[in-house]
Amino acid sequence: MSPLHFAGRSLSRQPARALLGVIGVAVVGALLFDMLMLSRGLIVSFRDLLESTGFDVRVTATEALPGMGPAVAEAAATTEELSRLPELAMVVPVRFGAATVAARGGRTHEVAIIGSQTRRRGEWRLLEGADLADGAAGGRPDMVVNRTLAREQGLASGSIVRLASTLPGREFRVSGIVEFPFEATGEWMAGVTLRGFTHAFPTARRDEADLLLVASRPEAGPDAAVVAIRRARPDLHAFSIDEVLERLRHAEFSYFRQVSFVLATIASFFTLLLVTTLLTVSVNQRLGEVAALRALGFSRRRITLDLLAESALLVGGGGIAAVPLGLLLARGLDSILRQMPDLPSRLHFFVLEPRDLALHLAFLVLAALIAAAYPAILAARLPIAATLRRESIS
Amino acid sequence: MSAKAAIVEARGVGKVYPMPAGPVEALRDVSLTVEAGDYVAISGPSGCGKSTLLHLLGCVDTPTAGSLLFEGRPVRAMGEEERSRIRLRRIGFVFQRFYLLPMLTAWENVELVQSEAGMPAAERRARTRELLEYVGLGQRVGHLPSQLSGGEMQRVAIARALANRPGLVLADEPTGELDDETGEQIGDLFDRVNADGTTLVIVTHNLALAARARRRLAMRSGRLAASPAMARP
Repeated sequence: MSPLHFAGRSLSRQPARALLGVIGVAVVGALLFDMLMLSRGLIVSFRDLLESTGFDVRVTATEALPGMGPAVAEAAATTEELSRLPELAMVVPVRFGAATVAARGGRTHEVAIIGSQTRRRGEWRLLEGADLADGAAGGRPDMVVNRTLAREQGLASGSIVRLASTLPGREFRVSGIVEFPFEATGEWMAGVTLRGFTHAFPTARRDEADLLLVASRPEAGPDAAVVAIRRARPDLHAFSIDEVLERLRHAEFSYFRQVSFVLATIASFFTLLLVTTLLTVSVNQRLGEVAALRALGFSRRRITLDLLAESALLVGGGGIAAVPLGLLLARGLDSILRQMPDLPSRLHFFVLEPRDLALHLAFLVLAALIAAAYPAILAARLPIAATLRRESIS
Repeated sequence: MSAKAAIVEARGVGKVYPMPAGPVEALRDVSLTVEAGDYVAISGPSGCGKSTLLHLLGCVDTPTAGSLLFEGRPVRAMGEEERSRIRLRRIGFVFQRFYLLPMLTAWENVELVQSEAGMPAAERRARTRELLEYVGLGQRVGHLPSQLSGGEMQRVAIARALANRPGLVLADEPTGELDDETGEQIGDLFDRVNADGTTLVIVTHNLALAARARRRLAMRSGRLAASPAMARP
């Protein structure tokens, strides 16, 4: 009978206790699994968002986040200059603005407007209608709107949007309905061409860009593109996606990493405590039996293996159940956290990666080993004769 | 002088347990030779050192004085692992409290020690069936210990003790948990085991069981009260 089989039979002696142990490990393991997903979830999700645009380098005038600091001056010339760098495949200037439109009840509602060129890559995803055209038929430039804006304003392709923030109100023709990568839940958002942006914000400075989106040539890669931009224009700030994420990791997202680390440590401690307690109680209840097995010739190694196998079954059973439980819990927690204002609706806090499963597995193995250590030492070092004598007297 | 081979030989053996209140001398200057085919009963009052002697003879413990040879080899020179191997393959134990594993059937309890000794599966199956029939439990092989009576549990324990064809079977108060009638049946079984060639050493308070042995030894205060030679029938 293998140690694993023997351990299974041993656990079956106290099925309720074994089941409670497995459930306990599953619950704590689910929390640990969630913390593993949380520790990198935002970074992974944010990388997906950044990569979905099809641009792998961002250029700004200062180190401030795009739209939060001064704009890049002489945007057209800068775009032209950077486009000539052999490491770069494409440079797209982007402007950010906020306008208002008339909403129900005589109120106005803010609309975030992105000004860019006609879509080149993944600046947005077209859901209905047509993409932006550069013209301005009837004096109304094209506008793409997100689903929230379309729904709230009853817009469809061909509808007219009149901005209430300018006098007289500027009008746009809706060419299509799109999804922007960074749109927040409930946010009203629209995209126009740079010409359309000037139409929407006539007083805004011309020839500026809040952000330059850059796509590196595949043979060069983003790092080489960043180096080339820094060499050509040391006055600008270029960041690859990795650099953006690194900055977020150490600043804006570090809170979640710290929370996940603390909770993961607590979860690990409770898992170890639970399994060690269960096994120690179990060993103490059958000291006579262990001593008898040793007297019958079972080696210390075998006794240790039996306890390790018991620990592995408890931790393994609970650990396996922890994965679906953790995924379910993560879904609920994710939906709660994503209600925080101004977060991109496609951003997730909990993201499952193969690495999380590998770490979870490694933790289970380690937990099973550590949890079994004390009861295994207790059982293996049991003084056989003294224990049999004590059991006999008791 | 006997021409038979000595299985276990104690010469001037002593055992002292270190205790917080001071050392306790459990055995003093005990000399005893158990030869192949012997049927030995050791009796004496509680605390006289019977079980300690049994544990020394069974390589469960080592003496603090004197020399103890198991099949000619000094036990004190053996490591823990080697003594485990000897207990598994050369010695069978029968305990007062049976110590059958409650989650295993009678069959599995008997098979377990053979499995631990590395006996091939087919041989294990044949040996287990043979032993359970030998102890009269051929029809109860699939029963858990909780489904067996005390006498039946002790029969399974005896089958387990014989599983690896040991040279020596040691029994510590094997009828201590049984009524007189069941104790008699267990005594009959021990007689048969010995008659079939297995060496037996039984520690017991049960005078009727002790009377079945061919050598009866008495212990008092850690010493054998009668010399082994005098105790021979």
